[in-house]
Amino acid sequence: MPNQTVIAEWSFPVEWAKAREFARAVHDDHAEAEPFVPPPTFPVVLTAEFIEHLVVDILNLDRRRTVHGEQDYEYRRPLHVGERVRCRAWIIEDRAKEGRRSGRMRVIVTEIELSNEATGEIIGYERSTTIETASAADAAT
Amino acid sequence: MTAKTAPALRFGPVTRTDLVRYAGASGDFNPIHHDEGFAQSAGLPSVMAHGMFSAGLLASFVTRWFGAGSVRRYKVRFLDRVWPGDVLDAYGEVIREFMSDQGEPRAELSLKLRRQDGTMVITGAAEVVVWNMSQKSGRRLFENDHA
Repeated sequence: MPNQTVIAEWSFPVEWAKAREFARAVHDDHAEAEPFVPPPTFPVVLTAEFIEHLVVDILNLDRRRTVHGEQDYEYRRPLHVGERVRCRAWIIEDRAKEGRRSGRMRVIVTEIELSNEATGEIIGYERSTTIETASAADAAT
Repeated sequence: MTAKTAPALRFGPVTRTDLVRYAGASGDFNPIHHDEGFAQSAGLPSVMAHGMFSAGLLASFVTRWFGAGSVRRYKVRFLDRVWPGDVLDAYGEVIREFMSDQGEPRAELSLKLRRQDGTMVITGAAEVVVWNMSQKSGRRLFENDHA
């Protein structure tokens, strides 16, 4: 992973109010708990905009034919409210695949490394699979 | 000991308010998730849920089972769209218990999110630390927690 070409880098603070709002939106029953731990999928708040930019502006995929295929989080530890997280993104897979019924698809897997900006400690990884289908009708999700 | 399966967790029916709240919380304002006219002009019967909304619900099922901060791996595959009115059931099963390289007792889970008609919406897998297990059984959850 460190050998990949970094295509974007940014950082953000994990804000209590934003993370709790997200926890409530996914009906996490720890949303009101203290100390509060952001839900496992919370980093999507800080990465989705980049993925959208990647799909539309960098890869020039046809948005009507793209679907979100998979999402994968790997954590060495949970995110902490208040820490500032550095994101570094790279593409770990970009391949053509024959669909069972839909013809040729393009599958792109983006990996974003999450680390504590102050200490450099790696918190985890988010991997997101985007699929460009052969036709808009196959874009299911 | 770890319960090998958790009682199914029922969520829903999914409301448009759920989707608007998730849009605001996540920052994903693709109109296909909240604008009925836009969704219909795109050939859909109505607005549809964000995939990550459903993935978030399934993750909440995992943290309810094993505790906040327990998740070390959470992986989902999106199989079908979710619509307002859908009732979703989350299922989980412990398929392996082991000690991690860091010396944490962990469990590997197999996960499913299924619509009331039986359609599989998401399949997933997770790895969790087992120190903070909340064993709850026989409850229908998420039923009355809408604010």
